[in-house]
Amino acid sequence: MKKYAFFLGCIMPLRYPGIEAATRLVMNEFQIDLLEMNGATCCPAPGVLGSFDLENWLVIGARNLSIAEQLGLDITLTCNGCYASLQEASVILNDKERRGRVNALLEKVKRSYGGGTQVKHVVEVLDKDVGSETLKNHITRQLKGLRVAAHYGCHYLKPTKIRAHGSSERPVFLDDLVSLVGAESVPYKDKNICCGAGGGVRSGEPLVALDFTLEKVQNMTAAGVDCIVTPCVFCHLQFDLGQTELRDKGRLKERVPVLYITQLLGLAMGLSPEKLGLYDNSVPPAYLERLGITGGNK
Amino acid sequence: MADERIGVYICHCGTNIAGTVDVEKVAQRIAGLPNVVLAKDYKYMCSEPGQAMIKQDIRDRKLNRVIVASCSPRMHEPTFRKAAQEAGLNPYLVEMANIREQCSWVHMKEPEKATVKAIALVAAAVAKSVFDEPLQMREVPVTPAALVIGGGIAGIQSSLDLADQGFKVHLVEKTPSIGGHMAQLDKTFPTLDCSACILTPKMVDISRHPNISLLAYSEVKAIDGYIGNFKARVLKKPRYVDESKCTGCGLCAEKCPVNVPSEFDLGLGTRKAIYVPFPQAVPLRYTIDRENCLYFKKNICRACEKFCTSGAIDFGQLPAEVELEVGAIIIATGYDLYDAGHKAEYGYGIYRNVINGLEFERLVNASGPTSGKVLRPSDGKAPRSVAFVQCVGSRDKNANLYCSRVCCMASLKQAHQIKEKFPGAEVSIFYIDMRCFGKGYEEFYERVQQEGVRFIRGRVGEILENPDDKNLVLRFEDTLLGEVAEREFDLAVLATGVIPRADTSELQSILKLSRGPDGFFLEAHPKLRPVETNIDGVFLGGAAQGPKDIPDAVAQAGAAASRAAVPLSMGKVELEGIIASVDEDLCSGCRICESVCEYGAIKMKEKSGKQVSSVIEVLCKGCGVCGSACPTKSIKMCHFTDDAILAQVKAVLRD
Amino acid sequence: MKDSKANRVPSWNLAKEVMSRGARIYPLEDLNTLYECVQCGTCVGSCPSGRRTALRIRSMIRGIQMGYREEVLDTNDLWSCTTCYTCQERCPRDVRVTEIVKIVRNIAFEEGRAKERHLVVANNFIKTGHTIPLNEEGKKTRVKLGLSPVPPTSLLFPEALAEIQEIMRTDGFYNKVIRDKK
Ligand SMILES: Cc1cc2nc3c(=O)[nH]c(=O)nc-3n(C[C@H](O)[C@H](O)[C@H](O)COP(=O)(O)OP(=O)(O)OC[C@H]3O[C@@H](n4cnc5c(N)ncnc54)[C@H](O)[C@@H]3O)c2cc1C
Ligand code: SF4
Ligand code: SF4
Ligand code: SF4
Ligand code: SF4
Repeated sequence: MKKYAFFLGCIMPLRYPGIEAATRLVMNEFQIDLLEMNGATCCPAPGVLGSFDLENWLVIGARNLSIAEQLGLDITLTCNGCYASLQEASVILNDKERRGRVNALLEKVKRSYGGGTQVKHVVEVLDKDVGSETLKNHITRQLKGLRVAAHYGCHYLKPTKIRAHGSSERPVFLDDLVSLVGAESVPYKDKNICCGAGGGVRSGEPLVALDFTLEKVQNMTAAGVDCIVTPCVFCHLQFDLGQTELRDKGRLKERVPVLYITQLLGLAMGLSPEKLGLYDNSVPPAYLERLGITGGNK
Repeated sequence: MADERIGVYICHCGTNIAGTVDVEKVAQRIAGLPNVVLAKDYKYMCSEPGQAMIKQDIRDRKLNRVIVASCSPRMHEPTFRKAAQEAGLNPYLVEMANIREQCSWVHMKEPEKATVKAIALVAAAVAKSVFDEPLQMREVPVTPAALVIGGGIAGIQSSLDLADQGFKVHLVEKTPSIGGHMAQLDKTFPTLDCSACILTPKMVDISRHPNISLLAYSEVKAIDGYIGNFKARVLKKPRYVDESKCTGCGLCAEKCPVNVPSEFDLGLGTRKAIYVPFPQAVPLRYTIDRENCLYFKKNICRACEKFCTSGAIDFGQLPAEVELEVGAIIIATGYDLYDAGHKAEYGYGIYRNVINGLEFERLVNASGPTSGKVLRPSDGKAPRSVAFVQCVGSRDKNANLYCSRVCCMASLKQAHQIKEKFPGAEVSIFYIDMRCFGKGYEEFYERVQQEGVRFIRGRVGEILENPDDKNLVLRFEDTLLGEVAEREFDLAVLATGVIPRADTSELQSILKLSRGPDGFFLEAHPKLRPVETNIDGVFLGGAAQGPKDIPDAVAQAGAAASRAAVPLSMGKVELEGIIASVDEDLCSGCRICESVCEYGAIKMKEKSGKQVSSVIEVLCKGCGVCGSACPTKSIKMCHFTDDAILAQVKAVLRD
Repeated sequence: MKDSKANRVPSWNLAKEVMSRGARIYPLEDLNTLYECVQCGTCVGSCPSGRRTALRIRSMIRGIQMGYREEVLDTNDLWSCTTCYTCQERCPRDVRVTEIVKIVRNIAFEEGRAKERHLVVANNFIKTGHTIPLNEEGKKTRVKLGLSPVPPTSLLFPEALAEIQEIMRTDGFYNKVIRDKK
């Protein structure tokens, strides 16, 4: 049984517990053990807190890494932002001099980080540890006819120099996962563009962030989709909550429901929509009716 | 060893050395060393008076060792050796100490330490010189023939230049015909003459020249030897058509039922399984493409054989090997086009109406797949708006940092051609800098500006495709206005850069050539030896050395021919005297030296019942690898003996 | 306009300031690419934010090169970048554009030029260890989904919160936030 330290971050446990529940359930099905990182904090958010003080960002990141290091485990997580912070921090902290500076601060609270802790996004765990064969074997409910707008987000792939998942221009891993559950990944204009939330724009310039979101949703709607699927909790929030905000401002009529990738997988694996938290999103899961799904066999 | 009489000359090199190193102090200190008869400093040792001083001292003071402490031996060792020889001293008794590149230039901020180091370096040269022995240059005869690899415009030019001078030329071309990229071009900037019209006569000259033997559809497999005496093994690939019988009538191709994408037309048109790449091909001989021929695939058809009136089809043809002996070699293998698919943001290979510059040449060419009509690949319609995207894969650290030098002008030419064919079309060129530096180029730029082509200073960010009409939306910033914009075009032409041939490393290892950081073959000196290489007798012509337009490629190919003609017309060359020698009594016959020698210069021979190593003197380059690898110390590197080097080390460590 | 652009006084060491600050995190040789920008516009042509805001990231890079400190630091545009990295990925000179944005923001933040709305986030963080609060409804949803009401983070472990607060007092971040939160 493969084990990971499960890094929660902020948005998933505090705003979208459904994603946390879905991820825990799905990983459990694949016999991947998620251990708690007691006392972890915000990653810290790369675009907001990183924009304020990179040195503080690095030391808090190192503290989070040190918790996993104590457990002797690599980290997995569900948010592209947390991934951006912790993956990048772990790369930066491979450098002895920078690690030394950070450890001088951590020493004050009797901690240290030795370096080398790997940070893996949940989609990497699904891709590499689980693999498409096992994934396929667990699919009990083909989501035939479901038209999906796949949204990749920015920070899982970029900057490519340190993420090293290949080119960021035309990624396919999410579309592959969507096809794997029997759904159809529909091409739409500007598929690769940011949801608008990152870099502190959601907190600092919410209208600009929503303008990104609106354009993306309009492009998705123009292509005729039933739902949006993302591998990032923050993008998920921006699409789910953002569409409601846009509706409340009178800028959007029809909202498109959003699923996190493990929610989509869970659905295809026969888990019940309630357990997967699909009703806890801001936009109701209208696609369920179309798929004829009412409950789950697990 | 009391009779060594050493003269030491410390050069100021203007202020290059003397500005940092206290040359007088160096001279003073060196003068006190044993065997040193005199130590002088002088402003420019390489000047006439400097050399005269050395010659005078050799004669008057009976010097039998000369040390020149100056620049790198690369440039001036031959100068001082020659001076010594003129004064009756064996040239190998001259030593150089490099106190410029290895001292004053790198320690400019620490003059005192630099002076100490200079003293050490000169003292080391003095210590070594005691062990130097007179050596002789070796003279070898030259085969008065040349091998030219690559039959593009550069290889054609070099071949004709050498053949006209009376030398035998073997021109080896990889593809079925000579012509290279120039054969694919339509018109040529900046004068707009038709490429085929100026190229074809030269191709015909090649086929007719009594001194040229053309080996098309052939590849060089191995090259041994050295300047004046190279041996090349060339593989003639089977065409399955007897070259001596084929008349080039084309009946076979007419009857061949198989259509495949034409390489010459970059897949925009088709050819048959038996084909010539283009109508003016030289040699005009057909070739069967084994991969696609029905006979080879399924043992059926044989239509070509049936219809060929000269009985030229020969399905049983085998590869043939030819051995050539030549005195000089010219590499003229040209370039490949950058694969724009790597810049995924531009959608090349995904969006059908995004093409590259060479594809445009084929589309606009009257003998091309569209008979010269520039039509959109997606729907065959005439484009009403065309965008040229500059610097694709060039001036880009994520692709190639260098400027490809031809694409600005090529896009100007093509923009002009669009305007000529469709006067009402909107044509825009998106650029970082317009680089129009050749003769008549800026004038051509002005002409195209006058024709109404729009120039937008901004490298394109990305291209989107409208899924319905396959039109393209370019996203860019007009940097001169600071304005972000999106504009729709019918056709986008990517000015893809020029890159080294994919098989450059194979040729590199066959010839042991060097390559620059850009991947192209490296010249011996960027300014003063632009067509020579690090291997004597091997020269570079055309775009194999770096991106070039036709005028530059031709000029350089001519220069390569004239440099290659030097040893060919001399009839003999001198080889370095510094080579390895074997003490046969010590040699245990372990063959380690044989395995480490890069140049194949060591051969085992029988000596009183045992195998011993022996050096083939003409092949030995004096690199010394064998000497350091020999476990029994039986190989001596003349001029760099263990004793000499240890003395040098000791001298450096003394202070 | 009060002071004309023609008379602005460049602070020539702005590029150095940006690089030396950034070098505490990123390799200096990466940041050095700042000098290599050829103003080609690929970044702006690729920037999804510039299509809807006044952000012209190329001009910001130029402003840093030229030392126009006020214009670089005191603009709303600085905060319109979503750090999507599209510019940085496509830049033909490999300028670490997005990283430079963050470094410049660090300088702006230190000089008290951050937005009030940003400080709310920073304040949440120094008080709870998270950027957003956990409300009662959230707890209820967690329980309904079979999760613990409070996740096992600094919210559940006061000693963990004390740890990061200690760190932030030592490295000065705490004071930067409190000082700005007038
Ligand atoms: C789109 C475009 C438009 C252009 N337009 C113009 C123009 O209008 N005017 C202008 O002056 N220039 C133009 N050029 C530049 C022009 O193509 C080059 O200057 C010219 O082709 C260089 O000639 P070359 O002989 O050095 O190389 P190439 O043309 O590349 O020829 C090399 C030859 O060597 C052969 N070869 C390669 N490897 C081997 C091997 N291992 N063994 C044997 N043979 C080998 C190849 O098959 C080929 O025949 C243009 C270039 C491009 C890309
Ligand atoms: S035998 Fe091959 S080359 Fe000849 S006509 Fe048939 S397919 Fe063409
Ligand atoms: S010639 Fe022009 S298009 Fe080609 S790389 Fe140079 S600047 Fe770019
Ligand atoms: S893309 Fe890079 S080189 Fe071009 S303007 Fe932007 S930062 Fe400068
Ligand atoms: S990282 Fe910022 S500046 Fe760069 S493209 Fe994205 S939003 Fe624009």
